[in-house]
Amino acid sequence: MSDVELKQEDLVTAKKTEQPAPAESKEVMAPEEIKKGVVDAVRAIKDGPRAMRLYMETCVKCGTCASVCPVYYGKPEKRYNPAERTDIIRRIYNKYETTSGRVFGKLAGAEDFDPADIEEWRNIFYECTGCRRCASNCPMGIDHSVITRKGRAILDKLGMTPDTMAKVVQISLETGNTDGAGKEAFLGAIDFLEEEMKDEHGIDIKIPVDAKGAEYFYVPPSGDVLVNPEATMGVAKVFHVLGMADKWTMSSKCFDGANYGLFTGNDGDMKTDNKLYVEEARDLGAKVMLMGECGHAHRIMKMMMEKAGWWGELPFQITNCMQWTAQRVKNNELQFDKSKNPQPVTYHDPCNFGRSCGITEEPRAILNAACADFREMTPNRSDNWCCGGGGGLSAMDDIIDFRMKVSGVKKMEQIRATGATYVATACSNCKRQLTQMMEHHKADITVGGVHDMLSRAILINGKAAEREDYM
Amino acid sequence: MDVLRFLVGGILPYVAAVVFVAAMVYRVYVWRKLPAPSITLFPAPETGGANTMNTIKEVTLFKSLFKGDRLLWAFAWAFHVVLALIFVGHFRVFGNVDSVLMSAGMTEGGIQLMSGGVGGAAGIVILITALFLLIRRFVIPRVREITGIADIFALTLVGLILITGNMMRFGAEHFDLALTREYFANLVTISGVSDAAVLQNNVFLVHFGLALLLIIYIPFSKILHFGGIFFTHPLIRKP
Repeated sequence: MSDVELKQEDLVTAKKTEQPAPAESKEVMAPEEIKKGVVDAVRAIKDGPRAMRLYMETCVKCGTCASVCPVYYGKPEKRYNPAERTDIIRRIYNKYETTSGRVFGKLAGAEDFDPADIEEWRNIFYECTGCRRCASNCPMGIDHSVITRKGRAILDKLGMTPDTMAKVVQISLETGNTDGAGKEAFLGAIDFLEEEMKDEHGIDIKIPVDAKGAEYFYVPPSGDVLVNPEATMGVAKVFHVLGMADKWTMSSKCFDGANYGLFTGNDGDMKTDNKLYVEEARDLGAKVMLMGECGHAHRIMKMMMEKAGWWGELPFQITNCMQWTAQRVKNNELQFDKSKNPQPVTYHDPCNFGRSCGITEEPRAILNAACADFREMTPNRSDNWCCGGGGGLSAMDDIIDFRMKVSGVKKMEQIRATGATYVATACSNCKRQLTQMMEHHKADITVGGVHDMLSRAILINGKAAEREDYM
Repeated sequence: MDVLRFLVGGILPYVAAVVFVAAMVYRVYVWRKLPAPSITLFPAPETGGANTMNTIKEVTLFKSLFKGDRLLWAFAWAFHVVLALIFVGHFRVFGNVDSVLMSAGMTEGGIQLMSGGVGGAAGIVILITALFLLIRRFVIPRVREITGIADIFALTLVGLILITGNMMRFGAEHFDLALTREYFANLVTISGVSDAAVLQNNVFLVHFGLALLLIIYIPFSKILHFGGIFFTHPLIRKP
């Protein structure tokens, strides 16, 4: 997904009360109304952003995108061809905005929008994982995820975001996290994690919450607190070992960096969600916003919010917990007992970390330090194949068949080829998709995070965690 | 028929020049002024200069395509490089660059050999590569399903220009270099070309006419990629 088309006015208009009610009472829109909405939005591409307009004008239809696309690999059908998906928008653009399209019509690749197609749009624009692998290989440098996001933005404006997706956004805007968890649930989870760590190491390892003035503000995806909490334990242990247990904090209000506005194409939602976190970091007086193992969350903070300066000057830096920990590993400040992780381990580069943030070496440094048998899958890093659940798809259980049998096919082959029995990845969406895939294929492969492996092997007072029930 | 010869030889060149330049300037102007939020893709260069270098590599070596589709890369790269070579070679047709070449140390025979040998080979190679590009549009499913009439038209137009070009080199109606240079000299100085003898050569007329149509077609078609590529790559690799 991409942050093209960020406009200030979206912010003003995007209050959660104005969100179209997703699940309940959907009014049927008149076809003319749908057509106007779509055509107006497509015509607006002529005014930018630059990438979008260039993508309307420079595709040579060479088909390279299809040959590197995880979805097309899973099922080589026209509807899954990235260039075809983009052409859905381009045909309308040609019809209304290009000389050749207006004069020569279909001969010049121009076609009017048929409102009957809108239901199909709701499927088609959620059949791209936004992994940007096409962009890495396109001779013209076309990033089809930009157009996918445009298609989704058009749907969103019409109130036609798929229900499963719309619901996540709504929950997130209402509660500040995608799981809809309240403060009590969060605090309960933190208590549980502290107890777990006490069991593992026999000592108190703190997870500070709402500690004003703490230097580091840790923002994981909520999944890493509620669903796969080992990663958060790993981070806590690093701070403990470094004697910095009182230098960091989590927030009972902002414990989910996930931001589904990126996935629905709604910049207003994305910014509303983001602002909450930036304000919390300011309130806490943090010097460093330490992003968790969540690719798109890190990307929105670092590559979008900070770069574009959505909220002006920031009194804090943004860095990722993997970068932070990897630096400590490099400095030999952390010691490990690799025998705690004897199984073959591989790392799946989340697209948002690998291709969109350039964070590829840090997770490897941590895994290599903590695991006895680390193996690469091929290709990897910025060439890695998407898990098949990118672009928010992983949260949509109504398309699980598509995710298992189409978009995830290549990833499963890639993982199997490594012989690994543990796949580490730094993204809640990837984790969910991969876990479901292992269940689907009845594969005896565990999926988890990077700091999870660190948590199992890191030495505290010379000893690693004592546990039996892993793996 | 003479009206047609006059239109193609005396009017169309000026129309093509004006349309092409105006449309391209407009395109570049629009592209430049549009907002361009960062959509950086990694590995990304660390400086603006490195980003420019990367774009140059993309434009001259088709770096990304090399990674994405090696076979297509081989033919597409050969096609474009030879096309550029042929474009440069045409300067010898438009004007007398022989004296320049000779002052650079080339002999008369050397120039003839380069023109006939390299130029001749280029005409054959580009035809083969263009044919490959056309055939894959029908043969490879992922390409066939996204191929439109405009894609076929562009390749056909280029193909016809290449064939007529080769006809003038290898065929019976070989064109006259001196007459052609004289025609272009008059064209450039706007001194009237309606009676230019070279326009009586039918193959030349078709070749030249189609080439002018292609030039007019560029800014309004997928061939615009030759300009767009300078803008798209820097966007996704912005430091």
